[in-house]
Amino acid sequence: MRLISLGIIAAFSLAAPAFAYDGTNCKAPGNCWEPKPGFPEKVEGSEYDPQHDPAEVSKQGDSLAAMGNRNEWRIWNKKETGEFEYDVKKIPGFEEGKAPPS
Amino acid sequence: MRNRLRKTLSHASPLALASALAISAAGMQPALANDKLVELAKDPANWIMTGRDYNARNYSEMDEINKENVKNLHPAWSFSTGLLHGHEGTPLVVDGKMYIHTPFPNTTFAVALDDPGEILWQNKPQQNPTARTVACCDIVNRGLAYWPGDDEMDPLIFRTQLDGNVVAMDAATGETVWMMENADIKVGATLTIAPYVIKDKVLIGSSGAELGVRGYVTAYDVKTGAQVWRAFATGPDEEILLAEDFNEPNPHYGQFNLGTETWEGDAWKIGGGTNWGWYAYDPEEDLFYYGSGNPAPWNETMRPGDNKWTMAIWGRESETGEAKFAYQKTPHDEWDYAGVNVMMLSEQEDKDGNKRKLLTHPDRNGIVYTLDRTNGDLISANKMDDTVNWVKEVQLDTGLPVRDPEFGTRMDHKARDICPSAMGYHNQGHDSYDPERELFMLGINHICMDWEPFMLPYRAGQYFVGATLNMYPGPKGDRQNGLGLGQIKAYNAITGEMAWEKMERFSVWGGTMATAGGLTFYGTLDGFIKARDSDNGDLLWKFKLPSGVVGHPMTYKHDGRQYVAIYYGVGGWPGVGMVFDLQDPTAGLGAVGAFRRLQDFTQMGGGVMVFSLDGEGPYSDPSVGEYPEGDDT
Repeated sequence: MRLISLGIIAAFSLAAPAFAYDGTNCKAPGNCWEPKPGFPEKVEGSEYDPQHDPAEVSKQGDSLAAMGNRNEWRIWNKKETGEFEYDVKKIPGFEEGKAPPS
Repeated sequence: MRNRLRKTLSHASPLALASALAISAAGMQPALANDKLVELAKDPANWIMTGRDYNARNYSEMDEINKENVKNLHPAWSFSTGLLHGHEGTPLVVDGKMYIHTPFPNTTFAVALDDPGEILWQNKPQQNPTARTVACCDIVNRGLAYWPGDDEMDPLIFRTQLDGNVVAMDAATGETVWMMENADIKVGATLTIAPYVIKDKVLIGSSGAELGVRGYVTAYDVKTGAQVWRAFATGPDEEILLAEDFNEPNPHYGQFNLGTETWEGDAWKIGGGTNWGWYAYDPEEDLFYYGSGNPAPWNETMRPGDNKWTMAIWGRESETGEAKFAYQKTPHDEWDYAGVNVMMLSEQEDKDGNKRKLLTHPDRNGIVYTLDRTNGDLISANKMDDTVNWVKEVQLDTGLPVRDPEFGTRMDHKARDICPSAMGYHNQGHDSYDPERELFMLGINHICMDWEPFMLPYRAGQYFVGATLNMYPGPKGDRQNGLGLGQIKAYNAITGEMAWEKMERFSVWGGTMATAGGLTFYGTLDGFIKARDSDNGDLLWKFKLPSGVVGHPMTYKHDGRQYVAIYYGVGGWPGVGMVFDLQDPTAGLGAVGAFRRLQDFTQMGGGVMVFSLDGEGPYSDPSVGEYPEGDDT
């Protein structure tokens, strides 16, 4: 299997450029995208640059961290009291972003 | 505990009792919850998870209802959920109870099969209604999960909510045991997937790629709700949770650092790859399988690169979440062929006569893939229909699709007549595998499209699609009249041949169920449940339901009688035009135009319909469920 796979990898590196993007002209295993004729390799600075706001882009990561923190408080409170409380504002000592007592 | 055991045994079938006694006699106890789930699934009386068992075959060994007598199927009882919109998935049946889920607001019901006219419990959450506005494709939910309990804790039912919460409920009382935040609607993330129990963990996927949500799957401790691990679809390897030997048997699929290197800049942070479809699990391999969905945005020009690991079939260890393999079916997707569809497990001989553990996956992109599920080897990849045109073939040695540039999409260009459409030739329907016939029963869409991209910036919580779509029946349908949008087929994954195929008026959106009675059941968008002969596809029986179907049928046994049940309740992506009263044919991401005729055949509703031979059931004795005589105080 490994020999066959190495053969395939060699074939990738020897592949000739495609006339139009058909997905088979790979730079490396698992990396086979090419720009279509007339389109840039990178969109940053081109007419197709979406110019995303970094603050917007980071919001998902921030949100996941905040949800994880609130969940930790809920689990801590259940351990402490034996009762489950979803509303973290009702959990004594809760502070957004602060870890529950260990 | 003793009461619980007695109650369990009183509802158990002879087969389940025999299994329990055998375990007791041997002095063994099922060590983990999934052992119990495996045992429960062996009893055909139960339907304990969305695909019936870990193989996700939607197959029942029961044959009381068969080709000869299916014409005598009649309604035995029904249950209205009191809700409209799409009812996807299927109910669960465990130990004499049916657990029923619903679309938003995701009310959960339990009824006793002895007397389903009385609701045992209902758990109705109060959700932020804003969740409705960030759900891309109706306000659906795909089902529940059951954890069978242990010496410390009673059995639990798990639910996802559109507002992003995961809920554990006491299976006996419906009381909420815990509720955790998993997805934030403020950044466009919702939950529609059915939870999935493996051992003492419950797995939860993610939704919202149409709003740029970066996909993830999370495992929680069933008892506490504590997060055990989380694996993303894109980004650094340590966040995707790649095993040290990731893709070692197939390095040509790609291995390390591709979750960032195949994206430009930080685009992977808003790059989609959510997973809201179905899971399967092989306890021997301790691997679970699922698909990651489309990259975001749909406009391909905005995200150069192969966009790994969106659009991949995953094999991950349940204990750690680590990925042993991933195979990307549609690198650099240009058509929204979200790869989340069902994974069905089978054991079959390959063309060389070697018995192999297989995974078969009918993908949105119109290709049915079969992999060796122990290592990810690609065994076969065949077109579901000869009208698939975006790809010429899939190379089995490299795994690469050979695209036809004529049907590629790009800025400043309107691509026409692409088949399949963004809805795929197969979507969320949970299909079935008949092991006796070695056939996969596929519910299929027959829809093609025109596609025109446009630019837009990312704003968290807002739609991030960037394409305008027109969709219409495929070449075998009736484009003039907007009909002929679906098919049903029986597929052999080893030969690549279709044993039979039939056209349908609309998509077979919800999936299929096969039985040892030689029958293939499925629901239709225009509101029929049908039974076909699994050998030749002949239509043997049908019944008109109160509303269209987007879920899949199930079957169970109670008091020695086989029943077939199915949700009715039109909606989901194909029903968005109807449920939200949309008129623009490009609205609903193009579904409104494709399904413009649906309103001529069905209207909204929501509930469960249950059938049996001659309609015999709990109320054949009319005294069942009656107010007791002489007790009229």
